[in-house]
Amino acid sequence: MDSFLEEEEDDEEAAAATKNAAVGSALLPALHLPSLPPHLYQPGKGRAVGFPAKSKEVCLSYIQDAMLRKQWKRAAEFLTFYIESLEKDFSTEYMGPSEVIWRIGAEILCHRFHNNMKEFSSFIEQMKTLGVKRYLKVCLEHAFHLLCNGQIDEAYQNLSLAESWRFGEQTAIQDKEMKLIQAYRGLLDYYSWSKQKNILLEHGQDGLEDLSVEQEMHGCFRKAAMNLKEIIKIPGVWDLFVKCYVDLLEFYGDYSEAREVLNEYAYNSKFPANPNAHVYLYQFLKRHGESKKSLLSALKILHDIVPSHELMIDFHIMLQKSKKRKKRRLGLEVIFAVLDYAGWKENVKAWSCLARQVKQIVISEKHLDWIKQEWDPRRDWWPAFHFSRYSAKRNWQENESLSYEKALVAGILLGKGCKAQVKRFRILKKFLNKHNPVYLRLSGLSDSSVQP
Amino acid sequence: SLPAGSWVPSVTPQDILYRGILRDSCTSQPLPVLPTQLSHFFVDHPEDAFGSLGKLLHQNFYLGDSKLRVSVHSGLPPCSGCPRKNLVPRLRWFSHLARDWLFEVPLGLLADCVHEDLLLQWASLLFDDSPTGGALAWLPPKDVGARTGRLVYPGGQAMNHLYFQDVVLEELPCARGSPAQFELNGRIRQVAAARADGEDFVGVRSDYHCGVWRVPGRTGAAPTPLQVIRTSVPASCLTVSPHLPGELAVCTQSGAVYLWSVETGLQRLRHDPQTMFFRDHSPWRWSDFTAHPRVLSCADRTGLQCLDTRVSPGGCHFDLFKVGEEAGCQQGERVVLPMYLGRAYPSQHLVTTQFSVYVLDERLPLVPVLKWAHMMKAPPLFAHLTPGGPGRSHKVLLGASRTQELLLLQYRGEKRGALGVLWGRVSSVPTSQPPCCRDRLPPPPRPRSVLMSPLLLPTGLAAALQEDGPRESLLIFQLSEAGDVFCQKLTHQAAAQPPAPTPGDKAPSPAAALRYRRWLKAFSKVCGQPPRHTRPPTFGQKRLFTRKELEEPSAPSALQGQARRWLRQAMRDGGCLQRWDPPPSALPEPPEPAEDPDPLSARLTASWCGDWDGWWEGRMSSSLAQRQRALRERRRRQKRARGRRSLSASFTSSLTYQSELSELSDPDTAPPPRREASPPLGTSPPAAATPPSPEEALLSSQSLRSRGIPKERRKTLRDYLAVWADGPPEPPELPGSQASQLCIPSSQSQLSSASQPRRKRPRMGF
Repeated sequence: MDSFLEEEEDDEEAAAATKNAAVGSALLPALHLPSLPPHLYQPGKGRAVGFPAKSKEVCLSYIQDAMLRKQWKRAAEFLTFYIESLEKDFSTEYMGPSEVIWRIGAEILCHRFHNNMKEFSSFIEQMKTLGVKRYLKVCLEHAFHLLCNGQIDEAYQNLSLAESWRFGEQTAIQDKEMKLIQAYRGLLDYYSWSKQKNILLEHGQDGLEDLSVEQEMHGCFRKAAMNLKEIIKIPGVWDLFVKCYVDLLEFYGDYSEAREVLNEYAYNSKFPANPNAHVYLYQFLKRHGESKKSLLSALKILHDIVPSHELMIDFHIMLQKSKKRKKRRLGLEVIFAVLDYAGWKENVKAWSCLARQVKQIVISEKHLDWIKQEWDPRRDWWPAFHFSRYSAKRNWQENESLSYEKALVAGILLGKGCKAQVKRFRILKKFLNKHNPVYLRLSGLSDSSVQP
Repeated sequence: SLPAGSWVPSVTPQDILYRGILRDSCTSQPLPVLPTQLSHFFVDHPEDAFGSLGKLLHQNFYLGDSKLRVSVHSGLPPCSGCPRKNLVPRLRWFSHLARDWLFEVPLGLLADCVHEDLLLQWASLLFDDSPTGGALAWLPPKDVGARTGRLVYPGGQAMNHLYFQDVVLEELPCARGSPAQFELNGRIRQVAAARADGEDFVGVRSDYHCGVWRVPGRTGAAPTPLQVIRTSVPASCLTVSPHLPGELAVCTQSGAVYLWSVETGLQRLRHDPQTMFFRDHSPWRWSDFTAHPRVLSCADRTGLQCLDTRVSPGGCHFDLFKVGEEAGCQQGERVVLPMYLGRAYPSQHLVTTQFSVYVLDERLPLVPVLKWAHMMKAPPLFAHLTPGGPGRSHKVLLGASRTQELLLLQYRGEKRGALGVLWGRVSSVPTSQPPCCRDRLPPPPRPRSVLMSPLLLPTGLAAALQEDGPRESLLIFQLSEAGDVFCQKLTHQAAAQPPAPTPGDKAPSPAAALRYRRWLKAFSKVCGQPPRHTRPPTFGQKRLFTRKELEEPSAPSALQGQARRWLRQAMRDGGCLQRWDPPPSALPEPPEPAEDPDPLSARLTASWCGDWDGWWEGRMSSSLAQRQRALRERRRRQKRARGRRSLSASFTSSLTYQSELSELSDPDTAPPPRREASPPLGTSPPAAATPPSPEEALLSSQSLRSRGIPKERRKTLRDYLAVWADGPPEPPELPGSQASQLCIPSSQSQLSSASQPRRKRPRMGF
């Protein structure tokens, strides 16, 4: 971040300098562009726009053209020409030719040889040697490619090899990438652990104990746990690793450690606010039969972060069952908030939850103010968002039960103004007629609140 | 601000940069000093400068009865009109800019103003963000299966006419009927469209005006203009809400963000001329909708924030994307175009920069779900999302203006609402040759140079998905700067099936593996030796040799075949190849100083140790005692040198890979060099193996230097060894003395073969 700021200050100074200097800075684009269009280079300024740079560019465009037409052979031929540009690759550009060759070459090989692993591996080996900065990145991607092709052992070996790689003093980025490589190796250890676990579980019922398999499994566990533990200490989003680590710990009965890991992952303020962390915590608590209170508190935080999460339906139902008035009040808030989001617009479950609670409140004629408090901020946009004539028609065509739930809610909230929603349901009409005063009170309350 | 109806060609770099006359006088300064230039112009071209004014004022002045005399200035012919009129296009531009007000403004002030304007023009030549978003919109057919959609695009000489054209999607799309047309009050910069409640809403942005049209659901119904707003500062963004009909988001270059509802008017959400996260000069702002209809995203070059419209301005917001460390951004990276991907996933956003494409999820802000380097030469200014049906990938098209690049990304998530996204196959579509043109008539074939002309630079992008049963094709519409709409059709082809993997290398079933392990345990118990779990050492052959070297020769020679047969036979018998067993006398032995060595080998040994001078002196001197002393000293030195050499070798090899370490520590298991050109027949003891290829291993100056041989000796040695290499190809019957001499280099051949990968280390940056 600091570097960006510094750069800005530099620019500022340049702008504040003499007029000539301002002219100079204005010649640079306002945005740092990947490559300046060649016709905009200044003539006579002696910039290097010679033939090589141009031919390089043309070559690259030919490669792209060939790739577009799926002429992989032609693309590969052009790429071999392009590789010559590496010799003079002093570019400080973000995406230098070596990176271009790596990416394009991988793409071509994948298509030309239909994932011939041998060819691909030898290509990648060469790519690894092209740049120190990219070595670990290429290793990791190679491992992913091997994994995608089911070569798990090779991927593991690859990661181990990458792990033993050292270059000079480790920079911070290298350190991070190394941690990532270790973590993925841990993940593969976890994979073989769970495979052996399944073997044991399948064949353990025969009464045959097998110590060597078990020992090997423990070995995998140790290696996996060590590597996974390391990475989840660093602030970041490590959903996959955390899940695997918790699974390992749970299998060996180390619940306190698992809980600590999940709590740390969810509540440590250094980590990005990750809704999944709270989901995992909630699921863990649920698995171990924790009290309702702790479950609710976990979900409450999730509600604060992501009001539109799938678990909010569970949260609402749990709150509904509660005897406390405050919690039922929160339940109404939760279900209203869920339906604010476009993704939930046509969710029958959510609408039926809302309809049920609203109906309860209306029948009991208690806490009508709750509905009013929720409805007031939505009064100006829910009708257009949920209860338009068009959506009523479409809902009716596509999903009748959704249409029914929505009509009930609309009838209560909008009163007579929602003919489009209600006209098809006779029973609903009766219900609404019976409780018409409710709507009057709802609107009346709102009117009185507006008046002063 | 230009008058409607008069077409003015846009600025070209040649208009601003001086290549011609002024190049000599001010090469250091790209922009000439304008007052000087203007005065030159007045003096050099009085006809052009004052002629029109004179004609206008002529009637109102009485200049007397005498004839008017024109004094001709310094050599310029008294011709009418500028002599360089056709040659210098910038003058045309200049006169267009200046002819109306040139004479009323003081020169200094005028120069400042024009200078400022030229700077702006230049900046927009380098990167013009005013067409961000694109001025082309596709309104898809209303019903599933219908084939008539609508294209909305600007046209006219000043691009100030808005057209709604019905287009029927057939094999190639063709226009139907004449377009509905609206004349607007300025150049159209952006056309945005979204469908809410079954009706299309089209927002149109020009510099100082924004308008919204409604296109009713029925086909053929005329679009109706709903509302127009005027801004005092140029607007930079206009997006249409996909949630609520008649809602739009507007941003102006002063940093204001408005929610514009047709019913309730404008609501200002933010007004901040400063950028959000760090300082950036660009006044560009952008805003889009999010999964919550009351929450808007707001972007500038430094990042994205989400604003809640229900609370007071500046009240509730959270950061969605920040250019910086969290997203792993490059230095100088800036947001170019954000887009809400609501039609694919309700909570996802796409953010493009000059370098990369990011996918963000509102629920997990600041940490991109995905980052991908798009490798486009120019920043993408247009983006279009074509959501795929269930089980189909979503397609995002990115387009750049100046480089005419077009990029198609396909991506697919796990399930609705899941965070994980997977990019599918990605192909870039350089559209230097749009294959077909708009309107009913296909265009005449144009030469490539015309196609590359600036008039064909795209300023808008839209796409329509066409489904014919299983066949799916994507129609890409592009709007050129001159107002033509091009169309390109991408048809999906089923990928060729990769060859089936060969059966045979199937993994054993888990149960079989378990049975095997049990058997192995029992077996090891019987043997009384625990099975060792150490991994066999691995060898990196790939790093030692290139693939070509490792390739089998096409046909083994008879000699090789025989050798193989012998080997196999010996292996079957469990014996050893008696035939090749060397006589014990051939074992290498250190050179005996007591013996009188032949002069050549002594000289070689001496030069090997760098003591050739001593040898020469020793040879010259006649005293035997002197010679013996010299010999003894030489031996001592030799020993020392050998010790040093092995130490340095072990030191460097400890830096190499583990596999190489294992090779070093266990030379017997090292793979024999597979150079089949000369079968090593007479060299069975490993220590006496001839170096794999002395020409390569020994002659390179690098390896010579590593052995501490001074530069002036290298040539001698090289010549000597070259004689060896050129000599008879069968060296098995070495004379004893020569064999013993060779043992020094041969004992190093192990080292040299091990140090070969060491030489490759510079590939990692050493």
